[in-house]
Formats: sequence, structure tokens, C-alpha cells
Amino acid sequence: MAKSLYYKIDKCLGCKSCEIACAIAHGEGGNIFLTIREGVLPRKKVYYCEGKNYPLSCLHCKEHPCVNACIAGALTYDAEKKLVLHDEKKCVGCWICVMVCPYGAIRPDFKKKIPLRCDKCKDKDKPQCVIACPTKAIIWEEETVI
Amino acid sequence: MSRKQFVIIGNSAAGISCVETIRKNDKNSKIIVISDEGYPAYCRCLISNYLAKEIKEKEIFYREESFYKDNQIELILNKKAVSLDTRKNVVILEDKNKFSYDYLLIATGSSPKFPSIEGMRRKGVFGFRSLKDVEEIEKLLPFANTACILGGGLIGIKSASSLLKRGIRVKLIVKSKQILSQILDFDSARIVQSFLENKGMEIFLGSDVVEIMGKDNVEGIRLDSGEKIPCSLVIVAKGVKPNTAWVKESPLKINTGILANEYLQTNIPNVFTAGDVCEVKDLISSQYTINALWPVAVEEGEVAGFNMCGERKIYPGSLGMNSVEFFGLPVISIGIFSPQEKAGYEELIHQDLARNIYKKFVLKENRLVGTILIGDIRAGGLFLRLIKEKKEVISIKDKLFNENFNYADIKGLIEEREKIYV
Repeated sequence: MAKSLYYKIDKCLGCKSCEIACAIAHGEGGNIFLTIREGVLPRKKVYYCEGKNYPLSCLHCKEHPCVNACIAGALTYDAEKKLVLHDEKKCVGCWICVMVCPYGAIRPDFKKKIPLRCDKCKDKDKPQCVIACPTKAIIWEEETVI
Repeated sequence: MSRKQFVIIGNSAAGISCVETIRKNDKNSKIIVISDEGYPAYCRCLISNYLAKEIKEKEIFYREESFYKDNQIELILNKKAVSLDTRKNVVILEDKNKFSYDYLLIATGSSPKFPSIEGMRRKGVFGFRSLKDVEEIEKLLPFANTACILGGGLIGIKSASSLLKRGIRVKLIVKSKQILSQILDFDSARIVQSFLENKGMEIFLGSDVVEIMGKDNVEGIRLDSGEKIPCSLVIVAKGVKPNTAWVKESPLKINTGILANEYLQTNIPNVFTAGDVCEVKDLISSQYTINALWPVAVEEGEVAGFNMCGERKIYPGSLGMNSVEFFGLPVISIGIFSPQEKAGYEELIHQDLARNIYKKFVLKENRLVGTILIGDIRAGGLFLRLIKEKKEVISIKDKLFNENFNYADIKGLIEEREKIYV
């Protein structure tokens, strides 16, 4: 079974360490200074609502309407890994995926003309946001365990 | 499971999505896909990107080359279906070949409307619908200086933008008093218009073309004002009509498109329809409508596919929704964005012209029924969800324009589908 990201809201301080770790993980530089210079944006965002913090990134959800709606064939769904894969070369930046995301989790990167999408740090051991969270508010677990 | 024969007419969004759904549910049955085009499935919406040379030809095909083989699909290209015999369950092609079916999907799409004016048949007049159109236009580009685009809708503006990017002088002739009247209200259309004019597009509002001038080749157009515009290329983008002519003699019920119920089934039980040719109830208005859009075609094809395999699946209705970008300006439009009868509707508008931002929400009985987002589109998916789920939004009305509007703001209003927060 594939693991997914879940969040313990009561533990989230809104420190955005996860956002920073996410941006660094998706840049070339490997540290915060080079990442800022590269202009890499985090694929995760911590939102605030009525006194609480809500981290959010692509859920790779079972219905994944973005995959169906993509006019460029840039998105595919890997059911085994529970992962929406984004082929950035095919993407034309039309933002239809932004329009159909039921969680508002896909944000546009206007400079690079591609949407910001969590890839679960698929080439690493585990998502870097999980490691970065100082309060262990981010859970990396299989759905059945949750 | 007994081996059935599925015939799919149409090889684009609806056809492919139907085929993929059938194959997931039924590994054995025979599937035949028939297309009057000469290519494997391609992203129709990207023909403007292809014309603009933003993508290469091979990037327009959206399935692997081996797709048809891998899924054991018999693909018949360059063949038009010309008639349908629903008593014998047979489709007849133009070359007289006959294909019998147990279940049929009609996904024949739509074609550009060409108004009946003098000169429409001159060389250099094109629709903007297919890869073939782009290839023909491309041949003419080395000799073209000015192009006239007839129609200020999405197809008109997308094709005009592409030509502009290729260094062609572009004149957009729009009959209506605004551009993009199918997706924007008057004020937001003005914002997009001046943005496009700044990029070099010349836009003529409230004028119609009465003649395409020239001998064999196009030499210009004449407007209803009498003004003549010399040009060597004309793109006709005055809307599309569903390709229903070939089934006119059949007992299928046709209004503008072929009528389908919530199972995407026509009045003939083993004949289904999806995509631009299919007329089905609209999610918001509950009226029979054609929402000729790529994502709608994919959804409809999928639902039709399930039902053709005997898995009952209901389509909640189609919804007008568009997301496009013009030279870096993002535009989203969903649902009822400019109600004709103002009574009963509430319209909330925020504009920030310096930043090219325009946001509009249309509410009916405290429920969101439509939106226009220009410049800032980030929460588009949340608004689409509120529109689709038809939930009351009174409690968050004052937050809708908030730049950080997010999932947590609507979490209490909607049904939770997938767990995120514990």
C-alpha cells in the first residue's frame, strides 16, 4: 500500500518549515540561499483559518479530476503508488488543473508556467516536509493506518 | 463474460476516455474506433499552441504510439461514418464498409460554422478545429502578412494570439459589443481586450464581415460598415455545430446535438453519445445544453463507457467552465457569470485594474452558481467545488475575495471526500 500525507492540525505551529524544505527539495541548489536565488516555489502551503494552521499540497486523491481535465495529456495517475504524475515538458500552463482541483491545492507558478504539484518526493526516502516538521504534525502513513 | 463488440465513432477526448473505461472493465470484448481524421488521438485544444510553435508536432499526441495495440483496439482512420441502422445495429462508412455493434458510442464532435457569405470558398479561408487546419494554415504563413479572424470567442482569440506570436498582423472582427461573450461579462471582457490590444491585436467590435474578396485566393474582407481590409488569410471562428447530419435519418432524438439521458444513453438503448455532439442536462440550469469542452467530453466519455459495460453510472450534468491564458494573463470562467434576468441573483465584483485583476461571484439563493477570475485564479478549484456541490455560502461570503482563500475556509461546508487533517 502507498503512503500519503496527513496533518495533525493541533500540532501545526504555522512555522512553514515544511514549505522551506519542500522548495529546497525541488531546487538544484540544495540549500535555502541557492533555492531563493533560483526562484523555486514550495509545492506545499500552510494556510491559516480561524486560529488554526492548515498545511496543504496535492492529495493525489482517488478522483483526481485534474488528470481527466488536462488538455495536454501531461497528467497520469499511478494507482499503485497513489501518485498523480506530472510531465512538465508536456504541460502548457493552461491552469485547467488549478480550476478543477477540489482542494485548491494546485497553485500556478506563473514564472515557470507550470503548476506547483507535490510529487511526494518520489525520488527520496520520504517527503522532505515530514522530516522538516519540528512538531511531527505531518504524518506519512498508509490510509488504512489513519 | 460474453464477448461483445463495441464501436466508437470519434477518436478524441470523449472517444478515448470511453475506450479506456471499457478496457478497464472488460478485457475481452472487441473495440473498434472509427475516425474521419488521419491521426492518432491528439490534444485538440493544443492546436493553437502548435500553430504558435510552442509545442512540437509529436507533443500534441497524448497517448503512447502503442496505445491502440496495447489496448487491443482496432483503429480505422480517414473514414467517415455516413449512416446508422439502429434496427440491424450497423454503422455504414463512406466506403460502404459496415460495422455491426452490440454497443455504439457516437462521439463525432463538432465542426466550425461557416456563414453563407460571398467568397467563403476562396483559398486561404480556414476553420480552426483540427490538426489538418493548422497544417494548411502553416503552408500559407510564409506568404501571409495580415490575417483576419472572424469571431471573438475562445477559438478566435486563441488562433489570433498564435498568429500574432508568429509575427502575423492580426485583425479580430467581432460582431458582438464585446469579446469572449460566452465566458466573460462586459467589464471583464474590456480588461482582456485592452490587454490583447497592448500585445498588438487589432480588435473591431460590433462589426460583421459581408464578403471575402479575391479571385482564387483571399485578398481581403469587406465589413458591414463598407470598410475593406486587405489580408491573405481568414480564420472563421464563429462557433461550432455538432456533427449530427449523418444520423438525421435514424430514429435518434436530436435537438441541437444528440439528446442523452443521465447515463449518456440516447433514446436507442444500446447507442450512447458523449462530447461536443452530445446534448445533456446542464448541472446548474438543468436545461439540455451542449457544453463543448475538453474536460466535459472526457467526463461524458467515461460515464458512457461504464454504462456501455453494464456498470450503472450517473452523470450529474455538464458545466460550462474554461481556463485559458492569454500572453500570461490567466482567465477562469465557470457557470452562470452574467445572469440575463437579474432578479434572484446577487453579483459580487472586485476589480484591481492596475494589476489586471477582476473577480466576480454570482450567487442565487445564497449558493454560488458562477464565477469569473482574471489575474488571480488560485482558488478556482474551490469555487468550482462550491458551484458543483450547490452548498449555501452565506458564512463565507465575506471571504470570497480574500487572496488567501483556501480549503480550510470551505471545509465546514462541503462533504469530506478524502481525509487530510486528523
